[in-house]
Amino acid sequence: MLFSPLVVLGPLAFLMTMATRWVLHRLNWRRYIWKDAWFDVGIFVCYLALTIYWVGD
Amino acid sequence: MGKLLRIGVTLLVVFAAILAGNWIWNHYLHSPWTRDGRIRADVITVAPDVSGWVTRLEVSNNQLVNKGDLLFVIDESRYQAKIAEAGAYLAQKRSAWELAQHQYQRHEGLSGRQTISDENLETYRIQTESAKASYELAQAQLATARIDLQRTRVTAPETGTVSNLSLSEGNYVNQGQPVVSLVQKSSFYVTGYFEETKLQKIHVGQNARVTLMSGGEMQGKVASIAQGIADTSVSSNSQLLPQVQQAVNWVRLAQRIPVDITLDSLPPGLNLSAGMTVSIYLDTDQ
Repeated sequence: MLFSPLVVLGPLAFLMTMATRWVLHRLNWRRYIWKDAWFDVGIFVCYLALTIYWVGD
Repeated sequence: MGKLLRIGVTLLVVFAAILAGNWIWNHYLHSPWTRDGRIRADVITVAPDVSGWVTRLEVSNNQLVNKGDLLFVIDESRYQAKIAEAGAYLAQKRSAWELAQHQYQRHEGLSGRQTISDENLETYRIQTESAKASYELAQAQLATARIDLQRTRVTAPETGTVSNLSLSEGNYVNQGQPVVSLVQKSSFYVTGYFEETKLQKIHVGQNARVTLMSGGEMQGKVASIAQGIADTSVSSNSQLLPQVQQAVNWVRLAQRIPVDITLDSLPPGLNLSAGMTVSIYLDTDQ
């Protein structure tokens, strides 16, 4: 990669978080979430770690 | 029950995020990988052993040459004249030595008849020794002149590729000043500049995966770890007192330590040049 991987992987994880958020919203599953912000940030960090692991090299 | 499920799901995700965050932290701070690596090669800078004009240039830029191939020729006329001069000087000194020998032998024959003093005889003997030494000196000078003439033909010390050639026929080259750069064949290796935080997970013999910016991949092994880098924050003033730069304590930048990696084998068809950028990933399960 010609630039820092996080420049790509950060926004990618954010998009995946937004997609998850949208899907949960459409399925009306967000009612199973206790603290929305904690959940969203947690999901973002998990997605970020996954993207770094899979495409970070 | 519904409340517990909501709390449980959220805390599970938060717990997973803490683990993931910890992994990201370790990956960037401690895992032995770097994007700051370079392909390097053994480069020989060829310098002529004698000075003079370049009369023949036998190579072109980026040409592959074998060990012993002629690179360029320096004007020989001066060195041929030196040989002639040294040869004549040698003949002169040989004659002087023969004359001194002759005189000594003649006077040695007279010594039995008490017609020459011991002191005079000793003088002739010393003159003979001196003439012999002068002759040997002239021999050495002739040998040096022959070596100089031989060295007007500059050959490749190893097989490799001529690089960044700016030499032309007619240029004057000076003794000991490099004029041709030779990248030695099959001498490529990799130097990775690893942050000091990662150094504890690096050891000699560790397997390495090297990826080129252009996409090629190679395997290698850690050959050595540098034992020192320059301290850029300290220098001396004219009174030899340390001149220490002020540092901002908010950010501590990790120093980069060079680690050399030998390459196992190069994939066929892969074009490598010293100076190319590579990423390096070291195995951690060893």
